[in-house]
Amino acid sequence: MVRRAFELAGFVVVVAIVALAPRWVSDFRAFQLASVGVYVIAIVGLNVLTGYSGQISLGHGAFMAIGGYTTAILMAKHGVQDLWTIPIAALVAGVAGFLFGIPALRLSGLYLALVTFGIAVSFPSLLKKFAGLTGGGRGLNLFGLPQETGGGVSVHVLGHELTNNDWLYYLTWTVAGVLFVGAWLLLRGETGRALRALRDSSVAAASAGVWPALYKTLAFGISAAFAGVAGSLLAISVAFVNPDTFPISLSITVLVGAVVAGIGSVLGRVGSYVGPLAGASLIVFLQAYASDFLRWIEKGIPLHADPKAPGVPAVIFGLVVIVVMLLFPAGVGGVLDALTSRVSRGLTRLRV
Amino acid sequence: MRKLSLACALVAALAAAAVALGSTRADPGVDATSILIGGTAPLSGEASAGAGVARGAEAYFKWVNAHGGVNGRKIDYRYLDDGYDPSRTVQATRQLVQQDKVFAIFNTLGTANNLAIRSFLNQSKIPQLFSASGATTLGRDFGQYPYTMGYIPSYAAEGKLYGQYIVKTRPKAKIAVLYQDDDYGNDLLAGLKKGLGGRQVAAKAGYDPTATDVASQVAQLKASGADTFAIFAFGKFSLQAFFAMNKLGWRPKITIVNAVASASGLMALPPAKSTEGAVSIVFTKDPANPAWAKDKGLKLFQTVMKRYYADGVKSGYAAAGASSAYTMVDALKKAGKNPTRASLLTAATNLNERGNPFLLPGIVVKTTPRDRFPVSQLKLQRWHKGHWNIFGKLLVAKP
Repeated sequence: MVRRAFELAGFVVVVAIVALAPRWVSDFRAFQLASVGVYVIAIVGLNVLTGYSGQISLGHGAFMAIGGYTTAILMAKHGVQDLWTIPIAALVAGVAGFLFGIPALRLSGLYLALVTFGIAVSFPSLLKKFAGLTGGGRGLNLFGLPQETGGGVSVHVLGHELTNNDWLYYLTWTVAGVLFVGAWLLLRGETGRALRALRDSSVAAASAGVWPALYKTLAFGISAAFAGVAGSLLAISVAFVNPDTFPISLSITVLVGAVVAGIGSVLGRVGSYVGPLAGASLIVFLQAYASDFLRWIEKGIPLHADPKAPGVPAVIFGLVVIVVMLLFPAGVGGVLDALTSRVSRGLTRLRV
Repeated sequence: MRKLSLACALVAALAAAAVALGSTRADPGVDATSILIGGTAPLSGEASAGAGVARGAEAYFKWVNAHGGVNGRKIDYRYLDDGYDPSRTVQATRQLVQQDKVFAIFNTLGTANNLAIRSFLNQSKIPQLFSASGATTLGRDFGQYPYTMGYIPSYAAEGKLYGQYIVKTRPKAKIAVLYQDDDYGNDLLAGLKKGLGGRQVAAKAGYDPTATDVASQVAQLKASGADTFAIFAFGKFSLQAFFAMNKLGWRPKITIVNAVASASGLMALPPAKSTEGAVSIVFTKDPANPAWAKDKGLKLFQTVMKRYYADGVKSGYAAAGASSAYTMVDALKKAGKNPTRASLLTAATNLNERGNPFLLPGIVVKTTPRDRFPVSQLKLQRWHKGHWNIFGKLLVAKP
């Protein structure tokens, strides 16, 4: 009971902070925070797959690309308003994920990871192959299109004038909030239990009446739909897509973000929403400020490294991930969940 | 205590507001002591050779700063890595404009990269000057994009000159073209076709700028039986083309290699048999060319590079960057004591610069509001025994 109260209060606080943040930060920071929202969506989606059904995916960058290109092609070639492309992107990526889930049924663990990584590796080439549709390596430019609600300048929403970046921020985080609550409603009952049962022992789950094929492909579909929405929002906010917008490394980055967030944190727990925030912030800010971070380290330890050298962000990113994994193997979410459980148990005992 | 700090904050805020109101309204990026300009360059990745363009420009700005700056202000040139990837150019440029509040975007490298940010910069009314790309559209479409301008000769004009050269030297040539399949390569190809008049290209093969190798395209072009080979590539791809020619034993009568792929440093890498006799255009003084050893402009270049960018002493890319930085300084000076974005744009579209020390002697950097191709004079050069040799007279390169 106490734990529930904690979780609800925590969620309200996080929502309030997210809603008010643009008042305190610069316009550009709002744009960066919108990217954090994009990765939060992708991480929550990956948690549905990996945390709940126990399937590993190293190919979520490709599902993001499917979503992003769905949006870009609809906007640039078919004149669809950007907002309407988001549910379509979710649908297209979700169906692709569901279909991919069928062959994935025969694989598990490392084998599945390898096959999904195969999609991530081959997808950029596929995008270049169909250059007529995707614009090839040149990509598609969405900036300044009439289909862009933000139009690169500002938007009037409910009587308020929002700058383009604040608009992108609220759009992304509203979608993230809706999707999070949606996933929680979907997975708190029977479906969630079935998935977790499958993850722990598919034989036991099947003998208890859970149909593994249905639930495993369903998890793939939901997870891919989340990734598709993330890709769609990424395309809308960057207003440009090309194959390098969704590089092979994106799939790994998202998985690393999910691991730092804490895989397997049950939706609704404190860790399930604070964790993805931490993982996504790490992805966005560490990459952007790795050079500054290196300069800061240099003040203490003279490494004689060139902070401007290429590859610095990747190395720093890797180091931080190693440190996080050594200190908190369950991720930020896992630590928070353990903490709230302990505190609420203590409080309950006091009351008794 | 809390009231006191609140009062202090209020006073500070009022003081700041008073200062802001009191000073003349300047555009972002310019203050009493400095001018902040920004851009992107491929510091990493496939095209990282082009990083020299940004570093060479940076070195020249540092030299100017050490000698008093521009009207008393120092130039702060902030360039970010985009890995030659337009989607990263978009994000980095947004960061420069919205977070760092640069006065203008300068010297951003790459055709696709410049095109990806052009709408954004024009909508935000931020000058996008002296882009390190010869895309014809950068100079031609000023009606739609008044804030944008390139620097080097347009690729269409360059291609046209190659076409005319081929027609003059080998009227019956059978021509094969390797080109980067984007606006950059297609611009060169279209220019070449124009220069050839009615003559046809025998074979052409495009490659995607994110491809890994062009050997198969070269093999395909050789199989066409062509005796003239035009390489419209960039960075490692032009190298791969020469290596592939050597491996296949292909010896065309004429080999053309476009300007931004023809730095001496690159040309020296493939086997000499494949590069010997290659023809290209030139407009900067190539620091690796011994012909300039006694030239005053090149000596200045070497002094600047030795002090601020030692790796650039022999780099043609650094020379290209320094030449556009020289013109940028010129434009900033002409933009007045208190430059605004509008006055900078006016200055940049009314250039008449003689004696840029890093360009070939005789080249006049000239623009008008309706003619926005700053460098449009050049010469031809031929690769012989490890060096470029300039030949012929100054040619006009207008698309």
